[in-house]
Amino acid sequence: MGVYWPLFVLIFYVISPIPYFIAKRVTYDSDATSSACRELAYFFTTGIVVSAFGFPVILARVAVIKWGACGLVLAGNAVIFLTIQGFFLVFGRGDDFSWEQW
Amino acid sequence: MSGFLEGARCSECMDWGEKRNTIASVAAGILFFTGWWIIIDAAVMYPTMEEFNHSYHACGVIATIAFLMINAVSNGQVRGDSYSEGCLGQTGARIWLFIGFMLAFGSLIASMWILFGGYVAKGKKMLCISTSVALHPSTFTPWLLGIRSLRGLVFKFGRTEDLWQ
Repeated sequence: MGVYWPLFVLIFYVISPIPYFIAKRVTYDSDATSSACRELAYFFTTGIVVSAFGFPVILARVAVIKWGACGLVLAGNAVIFLTIQGFFLVFGRGDDFSWEQW
Repeated sequence: MSGFLEGARCSECMDWGEKRNTIASVAAGILFFTGWWIIIDAAVMYPTMEEFNHSYHACGVIATIAFLMINAVSNGQVRGDSYSEGCLGQTGARIWLFIGFMLAFGSLIASMWILFGGYVAKGKKMLCISTSVALHPSTFTPWLLGIRSLRGLVFKFGRTEDLWQ
Protein backbone atom coordinates (compact mmCIF):
# COMPACT_ATOMS: atom_id res chain seq x y z
CA MET A 1 0.00 0.00 0.00
CA GLY A 2 2.34 2.69 -1.24
CA VAL A 3 1.84 6.42 -1.55
CA TYR A 4 1.99 7.36 -5.20
CA TRP A 5 1.30 11.10 -5.02
CA PRO A 6 4.93 12.09 -5.83
CA LEU A 7 4.58 10.47 -9.25
CA PHE A 8 2.67 13.57 -10.32
CA VAL A 9 6.02 15.33 -10.80
CA LEU A 10 6.34 13.19 -13.91
CA ILE A 11 3.73 15.44 -15.49
CA PHE A 12 6.02 18.43 -14.81
CA TYR A 13 8.96 16.62 -16.39
CA VAL A 14 6.99 15.92 -19.54
CA ILE A 15 5.58 19.41 -20.00
CA SER A 16 8.77 21.29 -19.14
CA PRO A 17 10.30 21.38 -22.68
CA ILE A 18 6.97 22.20 -24.32
CA PRO A 19 7.05 26.05 -23.99
CA TYR A 20 10.52 26.09 -25.54
CA PHE A 21 9.39 24.02 -28.52
CA ILE A 22 6.29 26.15 -28.99
CA ALA A 23 8.42 29.30 -29.03
CA LYS A 24 10.82 27.70 -31.51
CA ARG A 25 8.06 26.77 -33.91
CA VAL A 26 6.05 29.99 -33.63
CA THR A 27 8.95 32.34 -34.42
CA TYR A 28 10.18 31.24 -37.86
CA ASP A 29 12.71 34.02 -38.18
CA SER A 30 15.61 34.35 -35.79
CA ASP A 31 15.91 38.12 -35.42
CA ALA A 32 16.23 39.70 -32.00
CA THR A 33 12.81 41.34 -31.95
CA SER A 34 11.06 38.00 -31.86
CA SER A 35 12.85 36.95 -28.69
CA ALA A 36 9.88 38.03 -26.60
CA CYS A 37 8.28 34.67 -27.32
CA ARG A 38 11.45 32.90 -26.27
CA GLU A 39 11.56 34.83 -23.01
CA LEU A 40 7.94 33.95 -22.30
CA ALA A 41 8.88 30.31 -22.91
CA TYR A 42 11.75 30.63 -20.43
CA PHE A 43 9.35 32.16 -17.92
CA PHE A 44 6.90 29.25 -18.14
CA THR A 45 9.64 26.63 -18.19
CA THR A 46 11.09 28.12 -15.02
CA GLY A 47 7.63 28.05 -13.51
CA ILE A 48 7.22 24.38 -14.33
CA VAL A 49 10.61 23.60 -12.79
CA VAL A 50 9.75 25.54 -9.62
CA SER A 51 6.43 23.72 -9.42
CA ALA A 52 8.17 20.36 -9.74
CA PHE A 53 10.33 21.31 -6.74
CA GLY A 54 7.53 22.84 -4.72
CA PHE A 55 5.05 20.01 -5.10
CA PRO A 56 6.96 17.36 -3.08
CA VAL A 57 7.80 19.95 -0.40
CA ILE A 58 4.11 20.67 0.09
CA LEU A 59 3.32 16.96 0.17
CA ALA A 60 5.91 16.51 2.91
CA ARG A 61 4.64 19.48 4.91
CA VAL A 62 1.16 17.96 5.17
CA ALA A 63 2.75 14.59 6.01
CA VAL A 64 1.36 12.80 2.98
CA ILE A 65 4.91 11.65 2.34
CA LYS A 66 7.89 11.62 4.70
CA TRP A 67 10.71 14.14 4.41
CA GLY A 68 13.13 11.47 3.28
CA ALA A 69 10.87 10.65 0.37
CA CYS A 70 10.63 14.36 -0.41
CA GLY A 71 14.41 14.55 -0.48
CA LEU A 72 14.57 11.66 -2.91
CA VAL A 73 12.00 13.28 -5.20
CA LEU A 74 13.94 16.55 -5.15
CA ALA A 75 17.15 14.73 -6.03
CA GLY A 76 15.33 13.00 -8.87
CA ASN A 77 14.05 16.38 -10.08
CA ALA A 78 17.57 17.76 -10.13
CA VAL A 79 18.85 14.81 -12.13
CA ILE A 80 16.04 14.94 -14.66
CA PHE A 81 16.18 18.68 -15.22
CA LEU A 82 19.96 18.67 -15.55
CA THR A 83 19.61 15.86 -18.08
CA ILE A 84 17.02 17.77 -20.08
CA GLN A 85 19.14 20.91 -19.98
CA GLY A 86 22.20 18.94 -21.06
CA PHE A 87 20.22 17.39 -23.89
CA PHE A 88 19.26 20.81 -25.18
CA LEU A 89 22.80 22.10 -24.89
CA VAL A 90 24.27 19.19 -26.78
CA PHE A 91 21.65 18.70 -29.47
CA GLY A 92 20.21 22.20 -29.81
CA ARG A 93 23.47 23.68 -31.02
CA GLY A 94 22.57 24.36 -34.65
CA ASP A 95 20.69 27.50 -35.66
CA ASP A 96 18.00 25.76 -37.61
CA PHE A 97 16.54 23.07 -35.47
CA SER A 98 16.03 20.52 -38.20
CA TRP A 99 14.72 17.14 -37.24
CA GLU A 100 17.52 15.38 -39.08
CA GLN A 101 19.80 16.15 -36.18
CA TRP A 102 18.23 13.31 -34.32
CA MET B 1 26.03 68.07 -8.92
CA SER B 2 23.90 67.62 -11.99
CA GLY B 3 25.97 64.79 -13.31
CA PHE B 4 26.56 62.74 -10.19
CA LEU B 5 23.98 60.12 -11.10
CA GLU B 6 25.37 59.50 -14.56
CA GLY B 7 27.76 56.90 -13.26
CA ALA B 8 24.90 55.13 -11.52
CA ARG B 9 23.04 54.51 -14.74
CA CYS B 10 23.20 51.00 -15.96
CA SER B 11 24.09 51.86 -19.54
CA GLU B 12 26.58 49.02 -19.71
CA CYS B 13 23.77 46.55 -19.03
CA MET B 14 22.78 46.77 -22.66
CA ASP B 15 25.99 45.03 -23.63
CA TRP B 16 24.78 41.79 -22.10
CA GLY B 17 22.17 41.75 -24.84
CA GLU B 18 20.17 38.58 -24.97
CA LYS B 19 21.57 37.21 -21.73
CA ARG B 20 20.07 39.91 -19.55
CA ASN B 21 16.59 39.32 -20.89
CA THR B 22 16.90 35.59 -20.34
CA ILE B 23 18.15 36.02 -16.79
CA ALA B 24 15.42 38.53 -16.03
CA SER B 25 12.68 36.29 -17.34
CA VAL B 26 14.05 33.26 -15.47
CA ALA B 27 14.32 35.25 -12.23
CA ALA B 28 10.81 36.60 -12.69
CA GLY B 29 9.53 33.09 -13.31
CA ILE B 30 11.19 31.79 -10.15
CA LEU B 31 9.74 34.56 -8.02
CA PHE B 32 6.26 34.42 -9.53
CA PHE B 33 5.82 30.69 -9.13
CA THR B 34 7.50 30.62 -5.71
CA GLY B 35 4.90 33.16 -4.60
CA TRP B 36 2.11 30.94 -5.83
CA TRP B 37 3.54 27.85 -4.14
CA ILE B 38 3.92 29.75 -0.87
CA ILE B 39 0.25 30.63 -0.86
CA ILE B 40 -0.70 27.07 -1.87
CA ASP B 41 1.40 25.82 1.02
CA ALA B 42 -0.37 28.13 3.45
CA ALA B 43 -3.77 27.06 2.13
CA VAL B 44 -2.89 23.39 2.48
CA MET B 45 -1.37 23.67 5.96
CA TYR B 46 -4.28 25.61 7.42
CA PRO B 47 -7.46 24.39 5.75
CA THR B 48 -9.94 25.92 8.20
CA MET B 49 -11.38 29.38 7.67
CA GLU B 50 -10.50 30.54 11.21
CA GLU B 51 -6.79 30.04 10.70
CA PHE B 52 -6.57 31.10 7.10
CA ASN B 53 -9.48 32.90 5.51
CA HIS B 54 -9.46 31.52 1.99
CA SER B 55 -10.82 34.72 0.54
CA TYR B 56 -7.27 36.04 0.92
CA HIS B 57 -6.47 34.21 -2.29
CA ALA B 58 -8.06 37.14 -4.10
CA CYS B 59 -4.88 39.18 -3.57
CA GLY B 60 -2.82 36.77 -5.54
CA VAL B 61 -5.37 36.35 -8.29
CA ILE B 62 -5.68 40.11 -8.83
CA ALA B 63 -1.90 40.44 -8.79
CA THR B 64 -1.61 37.75 -11.44
CA ILE B 65 -4.21 39.45 -13.63
CA ALA B 66 -2.41 42.77 -13.22
CA PHE B 67 0.91 41.21 -14.13
CA LEU B 68 -0.59 39.69 -17.29
CA MET B 69 -2.13 43.04 -18.22
CA ILE B 70 1.13 44.91 -17.77
CA ASN B 71 3.11 42.45 -19.82
CA ALA B 72 0.54 42.27 -22.59
CA VAL B 73 1.38 45.83 -23.58
CA SER B 74 4.74 46.42 -25.18
CA ASN B 75 6.74 49.58 -24.71
CA GLY B 76 6.41 50.45 -28.37
CA GLN B 77 2.64 50.55 -28.15
CA VAL B 78 2.75 52.92 -25.20
CA ARG B 79 5.28 55.22 -26.80
CA GLY B 80 3.40 55.11 -30.07
CA ASP B 81 6.28 54.10 -32.31
CA SER B 82 5.30 50.53 -33.10
CA TYR B 83 4.20 49.42 -36.55
CA SER B 84 0.79 48.16 -35.55
CA GLU B 85 -1.42 50.28 -33.36
CA GLY B 86 -3.17 47.44 -31.62
CA CYS B 87 -6.92 47.39 -31.14
CA LEU B 88 -7.00 50.20 -28.56
CA GLY B 89 -4.43 52.60 -29.97
CA GLN B 90 -1.78 54.43 -28.01
CA THR B 91 -4.14 56.04 -25.50
CA GLY B 92 -5.86 52.74 -24.93
CA ALA B 93 -2.52 51.07 -24.30
CA ARG B 94 -1.65 53.72 -21.73
CA ILE B 95 -5.01 53.33 -19.96
CA TRP B 96 -4.55 49.55 -19.98
CA LEU B 97 -1.11 49.90 -18.43
CA PHE B 98 -2.45 52.34 -15.87
CA ILE B 99 -5.22 49.97 -14.82
CA GLY B 100 -2.71 47.13 -14.68
CA PHE B 101 -0.42 49.07 -12.36
CA MET B 102 -3.39 50.11 -10.22
CA LEU B 103 -4.45 46.50 -9.76
CA ALA B 104 -0.90 45.42 -9.00
CA PHE B 105 -0.26 48.01 -6.34
CA GLY B 106 -3.77 47.61 -4.98
CA SER B 107 -3.19 43.92 -4.42
CA LEU B 108 0.15 44.67 -2.80
CA ILE B 109 -1.47 47.14 -0.41
CA ALA B 110 -4.29 44.69 0.30
CA SER B 111 -1.78 42.00 1.18
CA MET B 112 -0.04 44.35 3.61
CA TRP B 113 -3.43 45.18 5.10
CA ILE B 114 -4.16 41.50 5.56
CA LEU B 115 -0.79 41.02 7.18
CA PHE B 116 -1.25 43.79 9.71
CA GLY B 117 -5.01 43.79 10.15
CA GLY B 118 -5.76 40.13 9.94
CA TYR B 119 -2.80 38.67 11.78
CA VAL B 120 -0.51 41.05 13.60
CA ALA B 121 -3.27 43.12 15.20
CA LYS B 122 -5.19 40.08 16.34
CA GLY B 123 -2.09 38.67 17.96
CA LYS B 124 -2.24 35.40 16.10
CA LYS B 125 0.93 33.42 16.05
CA MET B 126 0.48 32.37 12.46
CA LEU B 127 2.83 34.97 11.12
CA CYS B 128 4.24 32.46 8.70
CA ILE B 129 0.97 32.32 6.78
CA SER B 130 0.40 35.99 6.95
CA THR B 131 3.82 36.83 5.58
CA SER B 132 3.23 34.34 2.84
CA VAL B 133 0.00 36.11 1.95
CA ALA B 134 1.90 39.38 1.96
CA LEU B 135 4.82 38.06 -0.02
CA HIS B 136 2.63 36.57 -2.67
CA PRO B 137 1.85 39.67 -4.74
CA SER B 138 5.17 41.29 -3.97
CA THR B 139 6.97 38.53 -5.76
CA PHE B 140 5.48 39.71 -9.00
CA THR B 141 7.20 43.06 -8.96
CA PRO B 142 10.50 41.95 -10.50
CA TRP B 143 8.63 41.10 -13.65
CA LEU B 144 7.34 44.66 -13.67
CA LEU B 145 10.89 45.92 -13.55
CA GLY B 146 11.84 43.16 -15.90
CA ILE B 147 12.81 42.86 -19.48
CA ARG B 148 10.31 45.03 -21.30
CA SER B 149 10.17 48.12 -19.13
CA LEU B 150 13.79 47.98 -18.06
CA ARG B 151 14.96 47.62 -21.61
CA GLY B 152 12.77 50.56 -22.58
CA LEU B 153 14.02 52.71 -19.72
CA VAL B 154 17.65 51.88 -20.26
CA PHE B 155 17.32 52.46 -23.98
CA LYS B 156 15.62 55.79 -23.42
CA PHE B 157 18.37 56.98 -21.08
CA GLY B 158 21.01 55.54 -23.37
CA ARG B 159 19.69 57.52 -26.30
CA THR B 160 19.63 60.74 -24.27
CA GLU B 161 23.29 60.21 -23.44
CA ASP B 162 24.14 60.03 -27.13
CA LEU B 163 22.37 63.34 -27.81
CA TRP B 164 24.48 65.16 -25.23
CA GLN B 165 27.62 64.00 -26.92
